Amino acid sequence: MPITMGLLLGLSFVVSLLALSFLIWAIATRQFALDRAHAATVFGKGGADGPDTDGTHLFDTTGIDRVSARPVRLLILGAIFWLVLGSTFGVIASLKLHWPDWLNQAAPLTFGRMRALHLNLVAYGWLSQIGIACMFWILPRIFRTPLRAPQLPVIGFWIWNIGVALGALAFSQGWTDGEEWLEFPWQLDTLLVLAGVFFVVPLVKTARAREVDHIYVTGWYFLAAMVWFPCLFFIANLPGIHYGVEEATVNWWFAHNVLGLWLTPLGVGTAYYFIPKIIGKPIYSYSLSLIGFWGLALFYSQVGIHHLIGGPLPTWVVTLSVVHSVMMFIPVIAVAINQHVTVARNLWALKESLPLRFISFGAVMYTLASFQGSIEALRSVNTITHFTHYTVGHAHLGAYAFVSIVMFGAAYHIMPRMVGRDFAHPGLIRLHFWLVVLGFAIYFFALTIGGLLQGLAMLDATRSFAESVILTKPWLEARSVGGTMMTLGHILFAINVIGILRKPRAIAQSAVAAE
Amino acid sequence: MNRYLPLVLIAFGILAFATLMLVIAPGIQMAQRTVPEGLRPYSEQESRGRKQYVSLGCVYCHSQQPRSPDQAPDVERGWGRPSVAGDYVFDRPHQLGTMRTGPDLLNVGVRLPSESWHLTHLYQPRAIFGWSIMPAYPYLFEEKAEAGPEDTVVVLPEGFGPESGVVVARPEALDLTAYLLALDRTYPIPEDALRDDGYARKESGS
Amino acid sequence: MTRTSKQTASRNVKPGEDFEPWESHNRVPLLVIWIALALGVWGTALLFQDQSSYSVAQGERAADEVAAHDAPEGGAALFLANCSTCHQPNGVGVRLAVPPLQDSEFAKAGPEVVAQIMLRGIDGPIRVKGFTFDGHMPSFAAALDDDEVAQLASYVAGRFGGADATLGRDQVGELRDAHAGSGSWQGGAELAGLVPGLPTQPAMPAMAQAGPDPAISDLIFAGKGDVWSCASCHGGLGQGAESTPRLAGLSQGYIVKQLRDFRAGERQNEQMSFVAKELSDFEIEGVATYYAGLRVDSTARPALGGDLARGERIALQGDWSLGVPACFSCHGPSGFGVGADFPALAAQQPAYLASQLAAWAGGHRNNSPLGLMDRISRALPESDRRAVADYLASLPAVPAVEQKAMARIEGGGDEL
Repeated sequence: MPITMGLLLGLSFVVSLLALSFLIWAIATRQFALDRAHAATVFGKGGADGPDTDGTHLFDTTGIDRVSARPVRLLILGAIFWLVLGSTFGVIASLKLHWPDWLNQAAPLTFGRMRALHLNLVAYGWLSQIGIACMFWILPRIFRTPLRAPQLPVIGFWIWNIGVALGALAFSQGWTDGEEWLEFPWQLDTLLVLAGVFFVVPLVKTARAREVDHIYVTGWYFLAAMVWFPCLFFIANLPGIHYGVEEATVNWWFAHNVLGLWLTPLGVGTAYYFIPKIIGKPIYSYSLSLIGFWGLALFYSQVGIHHLIGGPLPTWVVTLSVVHSVMMFIPVIAVAINQHVTVARNLWALKESLPLRFISFGAVMYTLASFQGSIEALRSVNTITHFTHYTVGHAHLGAYAFVSIVMFGAAYHIMPRMVGRDFAHPGLIRLHFWLVVLGFAIYFFALTIGGLLQGLAMLDATRSFAESVILTKPWLEARSVGGTMMTLGHILFAINVIGILRKPRAIAQSAVAAE
Repeated sequence: MNRYLPLVLIAFGILAFATLMLVIAPGIQMAQRTVPEGLRPYSEQESRGRKQYVSLGCVYCHSQQPRSPDQAPDVERGWGRPSVAGDYVFDRPHQLGTMRTGPDLLNVGVRLPSESWHLTHLYQPRAIFGWSIMPAYPYLFEEKAEAGPEDTVVVLPEGFGPESGVVVARPEALDLTAYLLALDRTYPIPEDALRDDGYARKESGS
Repeated sequence: MTRTSKQTASRNVKPGEDFEPWESHNRVPLLVIWIALALGVWGTALLFQDQSSYSVAQGERAADEVAAHDAPEGGAALFLANCSTCHQPNGVGVRLAVPPLQDSEFAKAGPEVVAQIMLRGIDGPIRVKGFTFDGHMPSFAAALDDDEVAQLASYVAGRFGGADATLGRDQVGELRDAHAGSGSWQGGAELAGLVPGLPTQPAMPAMAQAGPDPAISDLIFAGKGDVWSCASCHGGLGQGAESTPRLAGLSQGYIVKQLRDFRAGERQNEQMSFVAKELSDFEIEGVATYYAGLRVDSTARPALGGDLARGERIALQGDWSLGVPACFSCHGPSGFGVGADFPALAAQQPAYLASQLAAWAGGHRNNSPLGLMDRISRALPESDRRAVADYLASLPAVPAVEQKAMARIEGGGDEL
């Protein structure tokens, strides 16, 4: 077999392997010993200032939360707005797949545009925004210093939301860049980039002003995501230079990195913070945190081309992505041990804390979604699942069951601490939990089974293409049922959050921390 | 880890490496290969139709990348030979797609070369395929009492058209159809063509 | 792992608000490192495996490129590849169907005559060695270059006619120019002008010179209010493409039966049912007559990645281990079709053929006489379906081509 250029390039995988080996060696030989001494002493000056006394921040013992509260509140509200809107569009798109003649009289209502609206509103309106809210809440806390330049993110919030709103208008009018995950017209991308500057600057300033030596693992994920996402977004949206199959590789390099290097760090970082925070116990192992984080960086960044397996691009790029996808088992197992062991030893906390229920459920879904993704990237499996609804189910396992549900929990944890009182109706939170979990279960299993059947039918030349369409219909209907339940859950989420914000203060005085 | 700058720099470096591997290197490799002789750029009308295709989001249900017979029976369904990187050099934005809720379209202009078939199908897919779940696109057409001399009348079976008068195609429908009919990658490919060959196996017995 | 749990398990109390997360220092479980190692080895192996797949595919592409340019060399090889499926390897022909070459008047007339027949094909009755045949020979003008025609003609005339003369490439070039655009030989009657001393040749039957009925012609080229035109999908000359079949040269009876089956729902295809439901018996017969009479060169070529040698074996000999008879045993030598029940296969679009074999195998098509094709298709594995479809697509169209028609195809289908 000749040694070709492609093989040499493919062996760049070895570079990732070497980097990982170096990391494991470094851990084993205690190169990080200096850090380790600090790891346990994150928590320095807290409590010295004494509890907040004006009664509005019952839980805020340090005065840090007060500064973050305004941008975080705005970002959460904005995120919820887009969540409700975006998931409504999702339900409409889902219904259209089995009622194709419903709502069909104008171009803005067509499936292709509804789907683009759904994806972009939930990705950029909801997930990104709630993730940024968590950054603004968590980073000052782990750095033990109030947020710097807190007025900037407020400006950023408005620019971001105007950008998303204009984007929504643009899609419905058919103005799109035409690639999945990159639909935003590049002219509007500049708004998002500008907003990003307003978000990143205060966070970097806060990081540089931190009052702890050690950066807790959540901080690694957040700080890295703040570098990764702008780079990805900028390169992928550069107008005029990408074309043809090269554009497709950029497309999927971006689309998967938006999940892997943006939404995943947001979700994993948030879970890494709130799980020990709520339970009150440390994370299992600092070394595993290192493997989990650097493994994610090394492997996740090169998986994108598994969306083009069997496509018109060089074999070696596809293989490279397949291999890296499977290597994702390593960081995922590391994170799983770290987070799940902490929860499993403290199951009592699940009974006491509703936010933890959301967050640890989401964390488990991260493990499952990643395992599924690694297996799905194998050529033999991908042949069946590629081009089918199975992939859509997988995407929602990651973006919804993992990131969104972690974010629900984070919001439920943050809100009482931000407004200084508790939720009046925990029952509604429980209902929200069960609606989205059961709804998602229906959604996921319907698409997974339907997608597999569809894929098998498409692989069999003796079955007509029509068969692959007809057999999916009942599963698509089930998906609509699940999706509707999830959307009802989101409306409940909105009611809960608005409810806690609107509650008169007098009642709040008697509230107890019900965590 | 306790330092901000190294963390950020290494994170950036890793992403830069991934970009080199996933975007820049294959981009350079593909740009060096011969463009197939049979490929031609889209005409003005076809480009307008392509914009319709993009803006209506056809890509969310239709791929444009037939797979190799080593992997899947795409060729037997009439979707055309496995596509190669050179087939797409005129495509901006690319519309490779990752879903086959509907069939692959890279060679639909060869398989279904009838303009009037496409107009019927765009106006109401269920007029032809009762089981179809494709959206209808009535807003690409208009109803008229009587067709003018320039009008393209849509062939419709009973029960699918208006009660009186005819359905004629708007320019948008004609552009979109022109694009669909231009989808033809059945010409031979150059020897140095690139595609994912990961499913190719030495055939036993030959 | 257990040590830490003992320490903490006893303190299941809610933490204070000022608790901030931190990491304890448990060691990395060995299992994680083993998994990492195993995956690393697996990943490297996969890189090499896929690299070998790439080499295989690259080799196939190169071989296709070579095959496209290098046909078999030498008269004998060319004869086997192009002539023997009809005229038989020993040149004795097929009784009542394909004229013999051995000792035939035409082979004896020398390579120049043979070459001229090959360049134009025959379409009309011809009398050879005392028997009259319904001559339908394809033109090889497009399939073979001057050199190949020269070698082949010399070989045929020498082996079967005992002629000593050989033909050069340049002479063939001149013949090709002289005959360009003349269409096929109208049976033995026209050839009599070329070969002196032939026995009396049968007269050409009176051809219906008039085109089809205007109503039929409208239906074919413009469609009716409620159906698309035939030509809009099947091409201006019924040549077909991909999964749309070639109609040109299919027998009238076969086309009529299929259209009736579509109309009655006995053959399923949503698009053809849409059309056939609106057709009267008169229209069906008119359309069928039109397409049966079309003389169009093949536009099909192997495209399914099938193994042509395997396809040829199935077409010529069948595969008795699978219980599959030779295609040509029913569909006629070279697959040019027999009657209403056995359509012509030569030059049919490969994707269409493969899709029909798949449809029979999957039970989506069941209008084959006696269920013959159902059984055969079920017996063929997927790779054989592609192989035989590709092989049949590589055969020249029968009957021969009307040059004017080809000029129209090549000139662009717009006017059609």
